[in-house]
Amino acid sequence: MSDTKKKDETAADHGRCMLNRRQFLMYSGTTAVAASTISISLFPGEAQAKARVVTYPRMKVARLSELKDNQPVDFNYPDDGPNSQCFVVKMDGAKAGGGVGSQRDVVAFSYLCTHQGGPMNGKYQAVGEHRVLGQCPLHLSTYDLTRHGIIVSGQAYQSIPQVLLEVDGDDIYAVGIMGLLFGRNENLMDA
Amino acid sequence: MSILDYVPEDKTPLPPKNAEVLTTCCDYCIVACGYKVYRWPASAKDGGPKASQNAFGVDFPAGPMQAWVAPTQHNVVMHNGKPHKVVIVPDKNSKVVNIGGDSSIRGGTIAEKCYNPKKPTRDRLMSPMIRINGTLQPVSWDTALDVAAELIRHTVKEHGANAYGMKTFSYQFVENTYALSKFSKGDINTANFTFHDTPADVTSTPGFRDAGFDNFGPSYRDWGDAEVLMICGTDPYETKTMIFNQFIKPAIDQGQKTIWLNVRETAGLAYAKSRGNALFIQVDPGTDVPVLGAIARVILENGWEDSDWIKKWVNNKWESSSGFGQGTRNTPWQWRTTWGKFQTKGVDDYKKWNLAQKEYDPKEAARIANIPVEQIYQAAEWMAKPKADGSRPKTSLAIEKGFYWSNNTGNTNAVSSLATICGAGGRPGQVVGRFGGHQRGGTGGAGLPRNKSPQKRPGRRRQAMDCDRYFYSGLTRFAHVVGTTWIQAMCGAQGLNNKFEELVTNNPNQVRSSNKQAIIDTLKKRMDSGGTVVLNQDIYLRDPIGSKFADIVLPAATWGEEDFVRANGERRIRLYSKFYDAPGDAKPDWWIVSQIAQRMGFDGYDWKNSNEVCEESSRFSRGNRKAYHMIKVAAHKEGKTLHEKLREMGTEGIQGPTFYNYKTGELMGSVRLHDTEMTPEMMEAQGRTQGANMVNKKMTHFNSQTGKVNIQKHPWSLFSDYWEWMSPKKDELWHTNGRINEIWQSGFDDVDRRAYIAQRWPENWTEIHPDDAAARGIESGDKILLYTDRVPVFRQTIKGVHGSDFNFAELLKNGWIELNKAAVEAVAIVTPHVKKGTMYSYFLNTSQPSNVLQGRVPDQISGNYNFKMGVSRVKKIGESKYKHEFTHMSFAPRNVV
Repeated sequence: MSDTKKKDETAADHGRCMLNRRQFLMYSGTTAVAASTISISLFPGEAQAKARVVTYPRMKVARLSELKDNQPVDFNYPDDGPNSQCFVVKMDGAKAGGGVGSQRDVVAFSYLCTHQGGPMNGKYQAVGEHRVLGQCPLHLSTYDLTRHGIIVSGQAYQSIPQVLLEVDGDDIYAVGIMGLLFGRNENLMDA
Repeated sequence: MSILDYVPEDKTPLPPKNAEVLTTCCDYCIVACGYKVYRWPASAKDGGPKASQNAFGVDFPAGPMQAWVAPTQHNVVMHNGKPHKVVIVPDKNSKVVNIGGDSSIRGGTIAEKCYNPKKPTRDRLMSPMIRINGTLQPVSWDTALDVAAELIRHTVKEHGANAYGMKTFSYQFVENTYALSKFSKGDINTANFTFHDTPADVTSTPGFRDAGFDNFGPSYRDWGDAEVLMICGTDPYETKTMIFNQFIKPAIDQGQKTIWLNVRETAGLAYAKSRGNALFIQVDPGTDVPVLGAIARVILENGWEDSDWIKKWVNNKWESSSGFGQGTRNTPWQWRTTWGKFQTKGVDDYKKWNLAQKEYDPKEAARIANIPVEQIYQAAEWMAKPKADGSRPKTSLAIEKGFYWSNNTGNTNAVSSLATICGAGGRPGQVVGRFGGHQRGGTGGAGLPRNKSPQKRPGRRRQAMDCDRYFYSGLTRFAHVVGTTWIQAMCGAQGLNNKFEELVTNNPNQVRSSNKQAIIDTLKKRMDSGGTVVLNQDIYLRDPIGSKFADIVLPAATWGEEDFVRANGERRIRLYSKFYDAPGDAKPDWWIVSQIAQRMGFDGYDWKNSNEVCEESSRFSRGNRKAYHMIKVAAHKEGKTLHEKLREMGTEGIQGPTFYNYKTGELMGSVRLHDTEMTPEMMEAQGRTQGANMVNKKMTHFNSQTGKVNIQKHPWSLFSDYWEWMSPKKDELWHTNGRINEIWQSGFDDVDRRAYIAQRWPENWTEIHPDDAAARGIESGDKILLYTDRVPVFRQTIKGVHGSDFNFAELLKNGWIELNKAAVEAVAIVTPHVKKGTMYSYFLNTSQPSNVLQGRVPDQISGNYNFKMGVSRVKKIGESKYKHEFTHMSFAPRNVV
């Protein structure tokens, strides 16, 4: 425990990363859908943060107990319209920014490359200690899933959009998205 | 820098149906993808998601490869003094270069380049400034220009034209480079002139020039048409993405064999390997010559050379010796061959020479390069062994800086000879050339007065001045620096910085008054006392050249702020449209130069706009690879300006050299140079020979004295003494450097002013092999110190007398080389994709420049730096904050497929 603790990011860095996530949740209320206040269990042992999620639906995507290491589970989010293909994966103990679960290794992302919308289904890879999505079959972009989907190498204009997760008991809920899904001009579109 | 952390956005504006559309091209890498700028008043309504509601005519959500606007692709700019929104996206209608609207991460986010006071571009230079009491203070254009003109006039009069030095970009649009070179090399007539990436105004590829190959003869489609492609010193996916994505990757998918000479493996190379038809020859730095020589030997020993083509297109004994009609030893080719070190009597003679050199024995070559010997045989077989039906593989060879900045002359000689025996040179899919670095935006308004250079090698010709060494010697009294950092961009950068400090900052004559005459008098005294005055034109205040050393800073207008013309790596000429107002009082470089020149009393600088500069410059492009003169002829016939005519051609533009058919009124481009399947008769029939059309041998022949290729020797001994001296001793490792896909070479935009890129690459970094790292207790994310006391520095300007005077061993023996210490910090990336024994750093982090470690000994034949050659020790000095956080950087390897 103490060893993990020491190597963890500093409190300030951690706070900033989370601040982004909270800010994001606060910012996203521009088009009026249902507004609700939820409790986000950011990481085990932390005080629960209150965030006002005004737009994104809260949707159950998987159960912690049913996730198998390094095997992505697919779901659509934030709706069932085009370009909503996402996956949630438990990354075999690789701790990640925005990760949930006891090892903080459960994350969810869009499957669509933010370069030109290439489908990256089947492109989740565990390489040593690294967890990446890619290469995209179209133009070879690769993303680091432990670092909020930042580009490792490639041509995309932004990180691969991360689906924000929340845990309630054994259930994992999708509650928002960081970054614009490829092909959409806003993530929440009228169907 | 004033960087905000990257905050992902989840919406973006779409251009409305009635948005104005202008065309431009990316400002960055050589490939120059076509882009469209959609512009509409900020007060007007944005477009909507239905096809009928937006300028793309596309229903959103859009599908893969369809039009889309990422949050990093829009901005707000001023146009005619009023705020406008712009969306800048790759041209989805593009039929050339970035076909179908593909783009890289660099160009794809180019909207963020625009000046916006609410964004990280807010610190653009907006007013002329003069350093008074140590601080740069805004002054009027008139004051700044009067001071500059009077000081330059004084320098030239009192200290000679060479005391005025110009260090400038070679690429930032033909209008600017024309004006800058007309002024400095022409009217001032200084030999103290060079470009951003070299200490001397010389060719980048001496071997190509001597063989007769143009750097940019091929068309992009030729790289894809090759059946076998040898790629030396680059991964085009990383540094000229569209050549790979649009031309090479599809070819690899269809079975193209690729052979890579590189020290590291990145995404493009990894992809090629994954398809099963790539050969990765992971050489040690600087060892390409033995490898290429050995491949050539295997080909020749097996009789696999392209004999028919060689008979027709390669110089024999008599042709090799024939002159240009310019007098003996008075040509670039012949003066270099004064000692008989390169010249051959043809392919048989080359073969005889090759077989006599021990380093071209495959076993010895493999030992030197530290590679498996089988790779040499494999490469030879792929490149040249005839197929079962007797036909030959179509083989092409492409090079870039990892290769030609390791052993500049030797490597370019060797690759030329290998290309020649493979029959690569002037046929579709059978070509040799550079992929390219910067775009081709140079038009020479005057030639370098080389005979005024104090440098001279053994033989009869003067050598272009090493401007760094001249500056070191305290002889540059007025340094005119345009659009380059100069200091960090050069080898052994620490010494150059110290010299600037001594000659500029520490000189007692510093401006203390804002009175114009007092400023002039003080700075004259500085120059007369042996000090240097620095004038810096740029778009940002660069550290240290602008922030610490410049006495006068002039704000430049750039891409998007003026109509400009430039060509790409297949000589494709396009107009880069102005689409917004330059910030503050910023002016284009051609205007700044014209104002100084007019104040100095020079004629021919009364241009009213950039089109007038372009039209004047066009005749200087005649006969060049990107000759655009005939575009002007065609334009004038149609009652248009040159810029207007190019604007009509949009992102497609036209490939130079351009020709005009006076009968049909057709403007014609050129697919490739040295087109050996084209004849002078065909040229004539196509109407390419009349009137002002300029026909020279580069269209249908090679750039040599006979129009045939010179096959050259490539003596390893000219370089091996340097290489052996430099080879790692004790716990040293090789240290080389280069670009990275996400940053490339425009750090002033990418890492300094794009939050996302800054988050990916926040600091200098160095890749190190896991074995080397483990031996030193280094892990990914550790802060490391690279340090050495073995930076060899060529001290002074000298004249050579004996043949070997410029050999490194002789320089060392005679005391011309001093050894400097240098150190630079970096974040370690431990990765198996770099070769064991070699470290690889980003080539130019301006605050932690890895160039401080690289030897400052110019290539003795060409005068270029071999930037890639360096050694260093390395140790862990702590942990970076990136090691255990989740926001910045990534330590995942770049070769995951």
